[in-house]
Amino acid sequence: MIARPPRGAALLWLLVGAAAVAFLVVFGLVVKKPYVLHMGIMLFQAILLGQAWNVIGGYTGQYSVGHAAYFGVGAYTTIMLLMTHGIAPWWGVWLGMANAVLLSLVIGSITFRLRGPYFVLASISVAEIIRLAALHFKSFTRGAEGFLLDAVPSLRVLGTEIEFVGKRPFYFMALGLAVASVIANWAVERSKLGYYFQAIREDQDAAHALGINLTAYKNVALAISAAFTALAGGFSAMYVKWVDPNAFSLPEVSIPIVLTVIIGGIGTIAGPVVGAMVLVPLQEILRNPKGLVQVGILSSDSSVVTFLAPFANAHQLFYGILVVLVILFAPDGVLGVIKSSLRKGRRRREARPAAPAAPA
Amino acid sequence: MADPILQIRHVSKFFGGLAANSDVSFEMELGMIMGLIGPNGAGKTTLFNCITGYYPPSRGDVIFKGVRLNGLQPDAVCRLGMVRTWQKVKPLAKLSVIDNVMVGALLRTRKLSVAREVAMEQLHVVRMEHKAELAAGGLPIGERKKLEVARALATKPELLLLDEVMGGLNPAESDEIIQLILDLKKAGLTQMVIEHDMKAIMRISDRIVVLNSGEKLAEGGPREIADHPDVITAYLGERVE
Repeated sequence: MIARPPRGAALLWLLVGAAAVAFLVVFGLVVKKPYVLHMGIMLFQAILLGQAWNVIGGYTGQYSVGHAAYFGVGAYTTIMLLMTHGIAPWWGVWLGMANAVLLSLVIGSITFRLRGPYFVLASISVAEIIRLAALHFKSFTRGAEGFLLDAVPSLRVLGTEIEFVGKRPFYFMALGLAVASVIANWAVERSKLGYYFQAIREDQDAAHALGINLTAYKNVALAISAAFTALAGGFSAMYVKWVDPNAFSLPEVSIPIVLTVIIGGIGTIAGPVVGAMVLVPLQEILRNPKGLVQVGILSSDSSVVTFLAPFANAHQLFYGILVVLVILFAPDGVLGVIKSSLRKGRRRREARPAAPAAPA
Repeated sequence: MADPILQIRHVSKFFGGLAANSDVSFEMELGMIMGLIGPNGAGKTTLFNCITGYYPPSRGDVIFKGVRLNGLQPDAVCRLGMVRTWQKVKPLAKLSVIDNVMVGALLRTRKLSVAREVAMEQLHVVRMEHKAELAAGGLPIGERKKLEVARALATKPELLLLDEVMGGLNPAESDEIIQLILDLKKAGLTQMVIEHDMKAIMRISDRIVVLNSGEKLAEGGPREIADHPDVITAYLGERVE
């Protein structure tokens, strides 16, 4: 055996990850500005969503562009159970995940008969149908008005009461969920499931011939993905305290989820993390250039802010441009660019040192 | 005589009005090598697809170890112990060679460590251990063909179907594959082999079935087939008087 990544590499990643998490915990404790905490929360939520999508899109190669369906179902289930039945979100979100898994089995059993672009189109349509249904059946979903929540009930853990007021508790919850999603993806990658998912991605006919039940394993991948996506939906509902049919939106939810992974590096564990670090700041700055002023990076009369302000409603335009750029110049995402430049650098270094050592 | 491991009974496959296979029947004994030959378009690969569950036969039955396979999907067929390789090789390109073979091995175990051991053994069988960590997509054609075989063997089949595993190889590589097929036979594996190289097929086959235009033209031992007037006609055309 030659180049299997040595144990040291995994250990190094573990240390880097642990250090990053430790830093983010301390950061969350000391930082004062709510906007900074908000950015952190958005970042962690994007990581959670990206990792969730990575299971079906990255590892299994089934590009669902309708993940808003699971996000919305998680959000609606959690907020509706709380507001109409008084069920705390700590329980409600589990039901939201269960609902999303059931939905994924229905959607999967229909759409997994299709391959390639047909599957993509089917996944989009199903999410759109659900969004239109949420708009239409007002007696159940309150239509476009949606659900507006006053306060999130506090959580009792081991005798201590955690109040969900302000952004800090949400910051830590989002961080925990993001870390959990990274660990879950890591565990999937290193299991039989991970091998089978990747075999399906690489060649469905070959996978089928090697004894892999395609429909069953695609459904398992989608169910795992849907569960984590619904978890993010439930979290988002409690954080924003508002859910309307836009939770099922293609441009606002489904597409950014896919972008996060594609920009970072598809089918890798670090990909969604890197992608979220690129996309979320961009998204927030484009939506609200004054955020930079609030954080204190720029002064309010800065030319950057005046330049960006007119684009506040055009952030989707930037997504489009970004996708084109990534597909043209970095099909393996930011991570792919980093890896190939590292490889080039190593090759150059290996090529060079021979020269000075030569005279003997 | 032992029960046949595979029975093909009156199998026909139609695509619209075209009969890719019509009324093909033959049987295979445990441990034998069956050669399947015929000119291009004779329906050899279609027959493989019908046997392994990629298409249901339009008519007729495929019976493997006494089980009627009609309607079973390829994954179920593989679990029963019949596995095929592809004429147009299908490496899992982004995965390493060992990971490709592990996907096969994982059919019979959940544990990655067990699958890795089985995969290493199979790579040893095709003499590719030293390539274990390379990406499968970057292999030259000869090694891709051997990877197909190793990956199929890792599912622990009782019947291996090889679809032109020597196609596109140089003579040295072909010789290596022939030796491999004979070694597998010695180890007790039953095999069905589609091949265009007549010398090779005559050397390895215990029996040969000849297909022509979807129909079984002849069946017999290698010598018998080589001298069969219909076979000569199918391959070389009518004798000019």
